[in-house]
Amino acid sequence: MVQKVISDIESEIGKPYQQLESIINEHVLQIPSEDLRQVVKVLTQKHGYNHLSTITAQITKEDPDYIEVLYHFWKGSGFTLLLRLEKENPVIDSIIDFIPGVDFYEREVAEMYGVHFNLRDGTPPLLLPDDWTEGPPMLTSEKE
Amino acid sequence: MEKITIPIGPQHPLLKEPLSLLIDIMGENVLGGDLRLGYVHRGIEKLAQTRNYVQNVPLIERVCGICSHVHTTTYCYAVEKLLGIEIPARAQYIRALMCELERIHSHLLWLGILCKHIGLDTIFMHTWHNREMVLDIMEELSGGRVSHAANKIGGVRFDLDQDHGPMVVSILNKLRVEIDKLRDVVMYEPTIRARTQGVAPLSPEEIRQFGVVGPVARASGVDVDFRRDDPLPPYDQLKFSVVTNQAGDAWARTLVRVEEIEESMKICGQILQDLPDGSVEIRASRRVPAGQVVVRAEAPRGELIYFLRSDGSDSPARLKIRTPSLTALSILPKQLSEIQVADIPVVIAGVDLCIACADR
Repeated sequence: MVQKVISDIESEIGKPYQQLESIINEHVLQIPSEDLRQVVKVLTQKHGYNHLSTITAQITKEDPDYIEVLYHFWKGSGFTLLLRLEKENPVIDSIIDFIPGVDFYEREVAEMYGVHFNLRDGTPPLLLPDDWTEGPPMLTSEKE
Repeated sequence: MEKITIPIGPQHPLLKEPLSLLIDIMGENVLGGDLRLGYVHRGIEKLAQTRNYVQNVPLIERVCGICSHVHTTTYCYAVEKLLGIEIPARAQYIRALMCELERIHSHLLWLGILCKHIGLDTIFMHTWHNREMVLDIMEELSGGRVSHAANKIGGVRFDLDQDHGPMVVSILNKLRVEIDKLRDVVMYEPTIRARTQGVAPLSPEEIRQFGVVGPVARASGVDVDFRRDDPLPPYDQLKFSVVTNQAGDAWARTLVRVEEIEESMKICGQILQDLPDGSVEIRASRRVPAGQVVVRAEAPRGELIYFLRSDGSDSPARLKIRTPSLTALSILPKQLSEIQVADIPVVIAGVDLCIACADR
């Protein structure tokens, strides 16, 4: 079923994407960050992937110049979209108009990793204090 | 009449944990509200990267003071998945038994708080008295009332002896009588009905838009339960019903939780009846092979998700936790509109917030 979803996404947007086996128990599709909204639109409106469990951001030891952002969808089984953002200028489009519940997840990724979300009215702090000045806490080497 | 914004929290008698709510009212009508989290943020995800996998078990247990066991269950399962090991069936059943006991005491705790907010202090006292029975079982089994330290990577820390099964059944039988009475109270007590029926209804569409999970979603007719839909072992072996209600209001949320208590008691009986023989743990390596895993579990408040990445060392490279409370909080501002001021406590209690869970 997931293969059908992936081929639908690829035909809708008109380019192939890379399937990864980086998560051992979920399908992972790597997409360019600029395609996120189109892909989410197909996933939610055409295939009913309405449940976004959360967004995870991380910096890996193998790829320290990038922030990986993972969108964990679920519909009977997990399906993750993986995007790579340049650590120096991490910008991504918000999907809040497709999934209003993404608000807290985007705000957390914004404050913890310094990712800027376009197309939404700012990302006020979710967990950090209003007067936090020490920069995104997770934007340091992974095991300090 | 002018609009007034009233602050509730971060410290307030209404709230059991710190949360800041700003609620706009005009007269007795609530126009809307906003909230601010973070007052009990402990940086647990970052902290987990500085400790080894074993040290993280007690850390993860402290994400939440109510559903502590399901957190360590999910975490240990994620680590075991990366290790490529499967714990003995007996250990899986003991984990599930603790999960269901935890669900019962969490729902009873919640019901007590709801009744207290409504002004029914007697029912609050009775409910919490009943909850003590479950905590007694958990203490007898694990040694801890709230932090049970039941899980370890590779199994569980204790076994059930021949007296434990009858003890649990005997206490649950007593509890069943009390739950029957509570069910009647919730069904027929006019004050509870008056204060909850039709209050802050949520449609299935709103539930889906905000990704709300657990009893709140099921009370709006969204039939989702990760024990059935994406089960961790041994839930694939257990027979149980997923409780739903179509009304979507605070009363439906109450009924769903009460019926879930009954369902959890049945699951406990089934676990004790089918409890496999054998050991309760296997040896697990302290170094975890490189890899990433996503694990979902059904906590008392709904879907709990852990993402774990190992780089091959003895401590996690990334541990992401999303608790069900966060989804409930995301829809709270929406619920705090078109209600009366007197409904505010019932609405806040209705979604069963756990701020420590949400803040991590």
